[in-house]
Amino acid sequence: MVVTGRAGVLAGLGVVFVALLMPSWSGIGVVVGVVLLVCVVDILLAGSPRRLQLSRDGDTAVRLGQQAVVSLLIANPGRRVKGLLRDAWPPSAGVQDPPHKLDLPAGERRRLMTHLVPTRRGDRKAYRVTVRSIGPLGFAGRQGSHHVPWTVRALPPFNSRKHLPSRLARLRELDGRTALLVRGQGTEFDSLRDYVPGDDVRSIDWRATARRGNVVLRTWRPERDRQVAIVIDSGRMSAGRVGDAPRLDHAMDAALLLAALATRAGDRVSLLACDSAVRADVRRPAPEDVLPSFVNALATVDAELVQTDFRVVVSQVLERLGQRSLVVLLTGLEPAVIEESLLPVIGPLLRRHVVVLASVADPRLDELESSRADLIEVYAAASAARSRLDRERVTAVLTRAGVTVVDENPEHIAPALADTYLALKKAGRL
Amino acid sequence: MSTSTATGRSLGEGWRALRVPLLVTGALVLGVIALMIATAARTSGPFSPDSTEGSGAKALATLLENHNVKVTGTEELDDAVESGQGRALLVGPSGNLRSTDWNRIASAGWDHVILIRPDRDALDALAPGVENARESLPKGSRAPDCDLPAAVKAGTVTVRGTSYSAPPSAQACYGDGANHTVVRLERSDRIVDVIGSVQSFTNAELAQDGNAALALNLLGTHPELVWYLPQYESSTFDDSDDEGGEPLIPPGVRYVAWALAFAVLMVALWRGRRLGPVVPEPLPVIVHAAETTEGRARLYRRSRARDRAAAALRESALGKLHKAYGIPRRAEPTAVVTALAARTGLDPAMLYELLYGGPPVDDAALLSLSDALQVLTQEVEHP
Repeated sequence: MVVTGRAGVLAGLGVVFVALLMPSWSGIGVVVGVVLLVCVVDILLAGSPRRLQLSRDGDTAVRLGQQAVVSLLIANPGRRVKGLLRDAWPPSAGVQDPPHKLDLPAGERRRLMTHLVPTRRGDRKAYRVTVRSIGPLGFAGRQGSHHVPWTVRALPPFNSRKHLPSRLARLRELDGRTALLVRGQGTEFDSLRDYVPGDDVRSIDWRATARRGNVVLRTWRPERDRQVAIVIDSGRMSAGRVGDAPRLDHAMDAALLLAALATRAGDRVSLLACDSAVRADVRRPAPEDVLPSFVNALATVDAELVQTDFRVVVSQVLERLGQRSLVVLLTGLEPAVIEESLLPVIGPLLRRHVVVLASVADPRLDELESSRADLIEVYAAASAARSRLDRERVTAVLTRAGVTVVDENPEHIAPALADTYLALKKAGRL
Repeated sequence: MSTSTATGRSLGEGWRALRVPLLVTGALVLGVIALMIATAARTSGPFSPDSTEGSGAKALATLLENHNVKVTGTEELDDAVESGQGRALLVGPSGNLRSTDWNRIASAGWDHVILIRPDRDALDALAPGVENARESLPKGSRAPDCDLPAAVKAGTVTVRGTSYSAPPSAQACYGDGANHTVVRLERSDRIVDVIGSVQSFTNAELAQDGNAALALNLLGTHPELVWYLPQYESSTFDDSDDEGGEPLIPPGVRYVAWALAFAVLMVALWRGRRLGPVVPEPLPVIVHAAETTEGRARLYRRSRARDRAAAALRESALGKLHKAYGIPRRAEPTAVVTALAARTGLDPAMLYELLYGGPPVDDAALLSLSDALQVLTQEVEHP
């Protein structure tokens, strides 16, 4: 049951009526009676919101920051329904529309559009559709809710896409397929071809030249069909907020850039998000399916407030990888955790694979360390310096153990990881 | 495509769900109302026989009960105009009874009427000849100074307040000679006492001097005492005569107020109804990554760990200098200082103290150490 502003205005006029014409209990009775009668009549004449039939259609996934459109089809088998309709979603679904105005004569259907711009990654479920049906007099009406299930999945935004073209150019250079006539820098022997003026003379294969009579060039290309396993730590170390997003989101961004690059380079990429249990698992998808399957799997992963169990991580990775592969571990570089739980168990992984540990550094620590205006800031700077020294120490320990460490600020982590991958590929270490 | 199911309750379900809570609430409200009616005092305010405040008179009423006088407190005029044969009537100090009401009380046949600080109308009707004196008496203990047995037995009494001038036929006590606070007027059929000093018989002052004795002597003359406290609205002027003039508040205002309350209720219902329930949102935990570092900074500060802070700052600065000038990491301090002095042209002794000295002795020393280290490393960081 609802009343409108008109009922309020009518009751207000009733005050004037009582004051001027009937200052007595019977006057009040008349006013209350008239207002209640009008409201009851209006409620009885209003179309029933409960009898409406609603159904949904539209987008089920949207990249974070972009707009999804979900349509709502309303059929009215009963009396005319006139009033407001609110399609309620959680605040993080980012509903753009104010409540819709609804005027639905008997037996007709309407389609209403709800525009969503989600503000957080993950599944956003529609909550309720509430219809307020006002009676023909406009004084009162009925209100009822419907549950019309729908889920829109907000996918990771992949902001580091912008770094992809430059890295692909570097990859082509590596491949020897650039328009420039430079020697392919790969390490795998590809084929022999005839010399073309302008080619790098260092690549001439003299033995073949002697055999064939004309100048023959040896071409190289990088290794292909290697395996890259991207492991994202979804434990508490990834929950820390760096800038305006958790470490986990920055890590996902870096993982997506690496996956896109490695796929183009002909490697097979698999993904694992893991803390004390596996949260997302994509095993060697088809090349064209890598990015869609990754963003879909990562959309619902959130940082859990538990300590990551690296024994689980290592055993899961070992189980997946047969041949020598590149294992990229995206986690936090927290000295105590690394020393106590990662280093004791990483041995088997290092023996068989190449391990890269990528961590999102916090630019806030640099700020803290450089501002030293008063005593409070000096203590903060000392604490930040201690944190940095600890990170440097554990980085050194990891490097000695054979792990390549990438520790960069959020805006640089994705390209830095891609560069590390290219460098490893160039060096033929995969 | 997905289809809908209506949520919420139908009318019957709503009633079934609300039935028990409504019954419980109703029973509770009824119980509280019954309890209030059962325990409520019949009178309240200053000089009320049920009030235990300083200005009340519960002490006096209890005292009278103890001396076998039945005290009946009332705020109704009807109780004061019924036949008073063989009983005493006390009329309290407040209220605005009209002269017609006073005449009705006078003709009710009370054997003994006690008027507490009466106004002119009351005196005209019940105690002709007694006049309200202009000046009031200052507070003080006074002797009876009259022949009234009740006053003589009570002795000295603390009085103050309104005083009255009495005709020669009356007995006037506790005054300054001309004006008195206790005046007794005896007629053949009725005794009328006029008492100006209200405070003397209140809970606050009843225990002083002979106040209690005087009160008992004056009020305890009959086995039954009706204690009437006139209220402002208990006058009957609306029904009987029009001579009262305009009332202060127009009578229609209360109805307008009720109508206004109804209008406010309707507006509240209109504005207060939400369009659907509030949507729950599962919120992520927000932890700033630098939180542990900031926490450690606070710990340093609280425990004044100047030594640890200085060590961290020196180690950090040394790390940067090592990297910038290509000094081997494991070099001896003296070698480092020599190399740095050669590069920067600074005094080696000062550099040694800066990089390898003891912990700073106070906060100022820590601050200056931090500044010096920053200057040293700034040249490296921003060449």
